[in-house]
Amino acid sequence: MLSVLPWIVLALPLVACIVLMLWPTEPDRRITRVIAVGSVAAAFALVIAIFVDLLGRDAEERTEVTTLWEWAAVGDLEINLALQVDQLSTFMMLIITGVGSLIIFYSMEYMEEDRDYRRYFAEMTFFVFSMLLLVLAANYLFLIVGWAFVGLASYLLIGYYYDRPSAVAASKKAFVVNVIGDVGMVLAAFLLIRDLGTLEYTEVFATAEGGLGDGSTSAEAVGFLLFVGAAAKSAQIPLHTWLPDAMEGPTPVSALIHAATMVTAGVYMVARSNALYELAPYAAGTIAVVGAITLFMAATIATVQDDIKRVLAWSTVSQIGYMMVAAGLGLYGAAMFHMMTHAFFKACLFLSAGIVIHAMLGEQSLDRMGNLRGRLRAAFVGMLVGALAISGIPPFSGFFSKDEILAYALAQGTLGVIVGIVGILGAGLTAFYMFRLVFRAFYGPDPDGGYNPEPHVTTWVMAAPVLILAFLATFAGWIQVPQGWKLVDDWLDPVVGTPDLKPSLGLEAATSLVSVALCVVAIGVAWWLFGHGSERRLAHAKTLARYREVLHQGYYFDWAFEKFLIEPGRQVGAFLRDFMEPAAIQGSIRSTVVATLETARGLSFLQAGLVRLYVFTMIAGLAIVGVIFILVGT
Amino acid sequence: MPYVTLMIVIPLAAALLLLAVPEDRVDVAKALAVLGALATVVVGAVMVADFDRSEGGLQFVDRQNWADQVGLEWIVGVDGISLWLLMLTAGLFLVAIASLVWKTPNRPIAFLALLLLGEAGLMGVFAAGNLVLFYVFWEAMLIPFYFLIGMWGGQRRAIATTKFVIYTMLGSLLMLVAIVATAFSAQDVTGQFTFEIAELKGIDFGGTTSTLLFLGFAVAFVIKLPLWPFHGWLPDAYVAAPIVVTGLLAAVMSKAGAYGFLRIGLPLFPEGADKLALAIGILSVIGIVYGSLLAWRAHTMRLLVGYSSLAHLGFILLGIVAFDVQAGQGAVLQMVNHGIVVVAAFTIVGVIMRGTGGDEVIDDVGGLAARAPRLTWVFLVVAMASLAIPGSNSFVGEFFILTGVFRQHIVLAVLATIGIVYAAVYMLRLYQTSTALREKGVDARRAELRTVDYVTLAPVLIVMFLIALWPMSLMGATEASVEEAIAPAQIAAERPADQIAVEVEPNPPPEAVPLPGDEADTLPEDGATP
Repeated sequence: MLSVLPWIVLALPLVACIVLMLWPTEPDRRITRVIAVGSVAAAFALVIAIFVDLLGRDAEERTEVTTLWEWAAVGDLEINLALQVDQLSTFMMLIITGVGSLIIFYSMEYMEEDRDYRRYFAEMTFFVFSMLLLVLAANYLFLIVGWAFVGLASYLLIGYYYDRPSAVAASKKAFVVNVIGDVGMVLAAFLLIRDLGTLEYTEVFATAEGGLGDGSTSAEAVGFLLFVGAAAKSAQIPLHTWLPDAMEGPTPVSALIHAATMVTAGVYMVARSNALYELAPYAAGTIAVVGAITLFMAATIATVQDDIKRVLAWSTVSQIGYMMVAAGLGLYGAAMFHMMTHAFFKACLFLSAGIVIHAMLGEQSLDRMGNLRGRLRAAFVGMLVGALAISGIPPFSGFFSKDEILAYALAQGTLGVIVGIVGILGAGLTAFYMFRLVFRAFYGPDPDGGYNPEPHVTTWVMAAPVLILAFLATFAGWIQVPQGWKLVDDWLDPVVGTPDLKPSLGLEAATSLVSVALCVVAIGVAWWLFGHGSERRLAHAKTLARYREVLHQGYYFDWAFEKFLIEPGRQVGAFLRDFMEPAAIQGSIRSTVVATLETARGLSFLQAGLVRLYVFTMIAGLAIVGVIFILVGT
Repeated sequence: MPYVTLMIVIPLAAALLLLAVPEDRVDVAKALAVLGALATVVVGAVMVADFDRSEGGLQFVDRQNWADQVGLEWIVGVDGISLWLLMLTAGLFLVAIASLVWKTPNRPIAFLALLLLGEAGLMGVFAAGNLVLFYVFWEAMLIPFYFLIGMWGGQRRAIATTKFVIYTMLGSLLMLVAIVATAFSAQDVTGQFTFEIAELKGIDFGGTTSTLLFLGFAVAFVIKLPLWPFHGWLPDAYVAAPIVVTGLLAAVMSKAGAYGFLRIGLPLFPEGADKLALAIGILSVIGIVYGSLLAWRAHTMRLLVGYSSLAHLGFILLGIVAFDVQAGQGAVLQMVNHGIVVVAAFTIVGVIMRGTGGDEVIDDVGGLAARAPRLTWVFLVVAMASLAIPGSNSFVGEFFILTGVFRQHIVLAVLATIGIVYAAVYMLRLYQTSTALREKGVDARRAELRTVDYVTLAPVLIVMFLIALWPMSLMGATEASVEEAIAPAQIAAERPADQIAVEVEPNPPPEAVPLPGDEADTLPEDGATP
């Protein structure tokens, strides 16, 4: 059964996408809904069947690779179109299809007013297909293919509103940054092929130690290059600038692609390649450091954002930083656990924000919000639960997953202690910026000028997914409890292993106490600043203007890329076009041609046109040959 | 079966028959042309089915007397490399001719006849089994294209044809010199005077001679390709030619240059190829970056696609001169990929120009997505294939090319990846500018896809998807031939034995009996003259 089910899971959203695309006219909206929601929900049901099947097996027999056909065999290299079902891919599939079903269901109403209903759902199902391919692939080649396809889906959906210049620019930026990541992945694949002669996961991981060498340059290079891909996809510094701009897409897209699933693909890939990172300590350390820098910088930037979705976008960048810290330190179970809880609470936050935006006819600025808690109940509940979860307040899910990362990090030696402390500081910032959002949008007085028109309440179609996700964001953390049971770690252990160094009870307790205390203080400060209207906020904004400007500019990454990378490239291109090409290339050919013609005129009595010239040159050429051979022969 | 001869003769016969069709019977002419092109494809399909995929040498060899006295024979045949190039040529000419049924040019009969002549010439280049035949077809294919650009072209066509013909001809002349020199030099070694390519393999010309001979051929090949900086003829010719012809120039004619390296350059002059491989590789990488930058900054759609072609052809040549099985396999596949993708790209440019009334300045066009959704979707697929997104057909080729290049010249492979990033930048520029935002400068209804466009695009897209999903369908047939083509060069480059798949027979064989007259050559210089 396990040889067929994953193919069906993969095919369902793909078929849905193709049917929607090829439907000759814009189909009835009910048909679109049934096809899109039905296919992803059916895929979810089948993934549960796979999960149950795996549960019934011994832990060591849960890996199943099925090959559809030999895709390419060149020289010694064989690449199969194959899928690998194991604990890790099943874990990912559960999140993708589970959260995916909820978000696509939610989209039915969110996109109600849109002209291009079919295109939206076709692109969403294409994304689900691509993401499933990414996690199911049994080798690096199809990982890269899935990797690029989710990038394409992301590109299409960011640029969904193609009549907005900002959306068009954002989609292009996302695509190009992702191609940079693809190049890193492809170069890593070349190295693997050169040194190991294969890209199949099972063979790569089995032969890596002998073929690459422990701590060798090749192993480190593979680790770094794979991380270039991961950083681009998962928006880690310095390849993070596309994700905040990606908020130009519809909000459910941000929830599914730019929060719950695609952007965590980098974490999945690092976890999947754990056997390689064991051989590459420096590359792994770099991941942890980059993750720590990212989580801190992104959290600071999130504190000054005034667009409700941009707060959440920077928050996503920051939270993925936590996962990267964990993955870099070899805490794969913790990384995947946080990925799961993050998928729940961040999707919950985005969908709640979506209710607000939908209710306010597209308004996204926090300045135009306030006192919404009575008006939009479901959004308020979702936002509040999500904020508590992401801040790590017990007993919400984020508490368990984030504190596991922090406590384990502190037990991993010097590097671990440093990034762990950064993580604890980041947790305080997280609580601050999240409750800033909650207080500014849902508390205080109505915004200046009041609401015009009054925000309209959405139906259960949008409320139900939010509440389900809020439920999960509240309770999902209980599957992994410090010093208690570790369901996620135990499930993933055969694939990713468990860390050798474990924190003591005292360290875990101390970490939790400190981080929770910090969060409570941060929430208090946020309440003091933002809980009662805009007066205090604006006063402080003025005194802090200089620092806020740095944060508003995102530490000037965009500016630097534009100034030092893109503009020089443009200049070189224009120089080549305007000077090099006309002068050197065209000039040289012109003189060659003119010289030929002049010679021909001088020598030829057949000087009436090109064809004769042509005949002449042929004869002349033969004559030259003859002369050469006479000379050579003597 | 003489499949190969048939594939040359059928279009030639169709072209000659067309001349007998009276001026006012355009419908007959069209039917005849389509039939001729179709018959060629059918013969090709049968040939593919009959082809032995494990065999590296020429198959279906057809040998006829021609001018025996001077070592000339009509020898045509097909191996794994030329198999797909013949099919590519046959397929794309059929598509081009079929599209002309709907979009009749002026003086259609002459146009169709010239196209068919061009097809016959290209077929001959890819099928030729001897150097003189190769040269004859090489020159023959130029003539129809000269007239096609010169008589049906747009602005500046006179300059374009002058540059195109004279520049490529200069290269050809050197090649002619090299051909004759090869035959005589080979005679010095083996005692046989022959132009047959198979008979010339394995000869040790000695380093300098080998390099000079290789160079003589290489100049012709790199101009035809073109390789940077020999691409001066390309912008003018691509812009001046009717867009059908531009597509064929980029798709098929350019492959003749790349093919020359695999058929003649590497197998016959491995030492010379080895000496110049790195230089050609560096020029290829420069071409990749240069072409990408110019495509990014190009003003018109046609120039953008044209310069992107320069970059893509750089990848192909880079794969060939890497002397690596994977790179070579990738290069052969990429020849096919580039051919079909660039035809699709030029078709779409043509469709957009129909909407703009001929204006092809990129920034003048916009907003197609709203009113021409089908075109936008197809354009997206083609753009993605052109920028070689993983999962597309072009990715397969680029991936294997760079896999091999990475193994042999890691720096060149890494530098070439700059081209991958810029490909995304310039293709998205073209795609987004024309499809996104408000409608601008284009009548979207006129630009939406019609039957005629599907005739061109549907077969091309189907092949693109087939290759993307199952590249083995093509690569399975090319492996043995690629191994054979690059093995001599691999030996000359002293590659590790495990990379070389085929043994190269020395020529003449060591046990060969010395021919009468040979002794005279082996006498010491100061020996008594008879």
